[in-house]
Amino acid sequence: MQDTFQTLVSGLSLGAVYALVAMGFSLVYRTMGLVNFAHADIAMIGAYAASTFYLTSRLPFAVAMVVSIVITGAIGLVIERVLRPLENKDFDLMLIGTIGFGIVLQAVAILIWGTTGRAVPSPLRSAPLDILGIRVRTYDLLVMGVAALAVVALGFFLSRTKRGAAMQAVAMDHDAATAVGINVGRSNALAFAIGAGLAALAGGLVGPMLYVDASLGGALGIKGFAAAMLGGFGSINGAVVGGIAIGVLDSYAAGHFQGYSVLVTFLVFTATIMIRPTGIFGERTVSRA
Amino acid sequence: MTRPALPSAPRTLLVGTVALLATVTACSAPGESDTKAGSDSGPIKIAVVNARSGQLSSLGEWEYRGAKLAIDEWNKKGGIKGRKIQMKSFDDQGDPTTGTNLARKIAGEKYVAMIGTAESAVTIAMAPVLKQEEIPNITSGQADGLVAQKSPFLFLNGPTSTTYDSTLAKFLIQEKGLKKIAMISNNGSFGKGEHDAFAKAVKDLGVTPVTDQVVTTDQKDFSAALTKIRSAKPQVVFIGSEEVEAGLIVKQARDLGIDAPFAGAAPQGTPVFIDTAGKAAAEGTFVSSPYLSNEVSPAAQKFAGAYKAAYGVEAELHGAKAYDGTNILLTALKSSDGATGKKLADAIRATDYDGLLGHFRYGEEGVGITKTTIGVIRDGKLVEQK
Repeated sequence: MQDTFQTLVSGLSLGAVYALVAMGFSLVYRTMGLVNFAHADIAMIGAYAASTFYLTSRLPFAVAMVVSIVITGAIGLVIERVLRPLENKDFDLMLIGTIGFGIVLQAVAILIWGTTGRAVPSPLRSAPLDILGIRVRTYDLLVMGVAALAVVALGFFLSRTKRGAAMQAVAMDHDAATAVGINVGRSNALAFAIGAGLAALAGGLVGPMLYVDASLGGALGIKGFAAAMLGGFGSINGAVVGGIAIGVLDSYAAGHFQGYSVLVTFLVFTATIMIRPTGIFGERTVSRA
Repeated sequence: MTRPALPSAPRTLLVGTVALLATVTACSAPGESDTKAGSDSGPIKIAVVNARSGQLSSLGEWEYRGAKLAIDEWNKKGGIKGRKIQMKSFDDQGDPTTGTNLARKIAGEKYVAMIGTAESAVTIAMAPVLKQEEIPNITSGQADGLVAQKSPFLFLNGPTSTTYDSTLAKFLIQEKGLKKIAMISNNGSFGKGEHDAFAKAVKDLGVTPVTDQVVTTDQKDFSAALTKIRSAKPQVVFIGSEEVEAGLIVKQARDLGIDAPFAGAAPQGTPVFIDTAGKAAAEGTFVSSPYLSNEVSPAAQKFAGAYKAAYGVEAELHGAKAYDGTNILLTALKSSDGATGKKLADAIRATDYDGLLGHFRYGEEGVGITKTTIGVIRDGKLVEQK
């Protein structure tokens, strides 16, 4: 029983990170109808940037995180600007473009930081909490807290602010939004920047839990993507539920199937998607191709 | 663990073409260089093959430095019977296919012997060609698969995984009296080799591990496996994985409240492991290694001094292994009057050499050293266990 809860706790903290990654995927998808395949590598750049400012420049962890979010936000803007001429013209090329950006970002990371990665010590020095024999890292609580805050903030932004509402409008009807004077380009740019910022948040937070190297994007991306699919691509709530589901599922699979855990996780994932192709929050989202 | 970041196909193709051309030229002009590999005068050509680019290049760099240091020292003393030793470095990119092509190239260019590689998989890929061409090879690999090649031209410059792990098992069980041992290893080639060697060693000593967890090579979160280990309440935890993964395992184990010490082979003695785990978490880890530190013996101190002077960085295990291996080869070349092929291989087998890693005496299977020392991590440094 104790083991079951312990496994749950560790699944939840990584699940929170996957949820953040999935949210970034979903945000760009619901606004532009585009899967940003560079997303995971932006998260990797975010992790590297955060660890560099935290360890090398010796900034406080929170400040390092903010700086890294600003940097990846800028990368997001650049990617959107490069892809903008293709918007509403060649959707496949846009997809391929994001894949290309992902590869470029990996190469850049290796140029800047080399092939060996780095371990990031936890910014919280306090010992893990012990609740009835279940050890909870204080840092895990921080990660879950920050992820929850990000979800609430994003929800508030999308539903209560004018700019957020405009983004929703663009997502629903591109032409009508343009007709009422919404700047679609700016709306897309904002979606990309916020998505990239979320990626950096996920990457920066996961650094002290895992290990930062150029392949981190691969590890985060596939789980984050699966989480977005599972929750229903484009749905923010779905991303959160999907992220936590994948995290917990992964954690239990690792406990029971050891070396085959990845296989089991994705078998379960595949089965779920086959039964419910649109994911748990299966809303039909934009298709602007 | 991580995928190669850059596509290597064009380079592989280039190396392949070069190797092919070299072979063709070598074959098309039989009369021109019909002499046996290496004539009796002129420099003695030795090839050093290792990964000089890509993911494993730091390992290749260490090996190269160790080999070069030994050759430079011999050349300074006048070479072998007045003949200079000429060394050339080849880049295998850590890739077995590239390695096979290089093996043909080395044979075509009449190198008398090869030093390297640090990768067992690459060495094994090269072994058949080198055996056929009768070129002795001293490798830094440690896989038991190397011995299984049964090549009279293949020699190891260090112990095999079985040696590392049986020494460790004996120390833990017989000296420390630790009977409740937990195992965690990955399912990659190194991890599986370590797992099998250690599992067999403890079984031979009549101990069954309390739990045996297998993780994947790209796994980063080990909570589930570590939770199982925690409930088994072991006295010591064996890790069979590379540096970074072992570090993460230890870091996460401490967070989960596992207080038992960890034990493992060479990867757990590296700074990379200690940095990843954190100094406090790595404290007390038992390490089975043939070369614990640069201070263990006067010879090691001398080697470390020369290494520092030549390259400006601290020497470590891999440089020491390559230095020993190269010295053994050069000693054999000297004792055999610069022989080649089968004679040189026999001379290596007959060499009795006191090296940095210990006393080398080769058997039929090409292993010269069957002993490791147990070290322990104290204050973030690997020191001898006393």
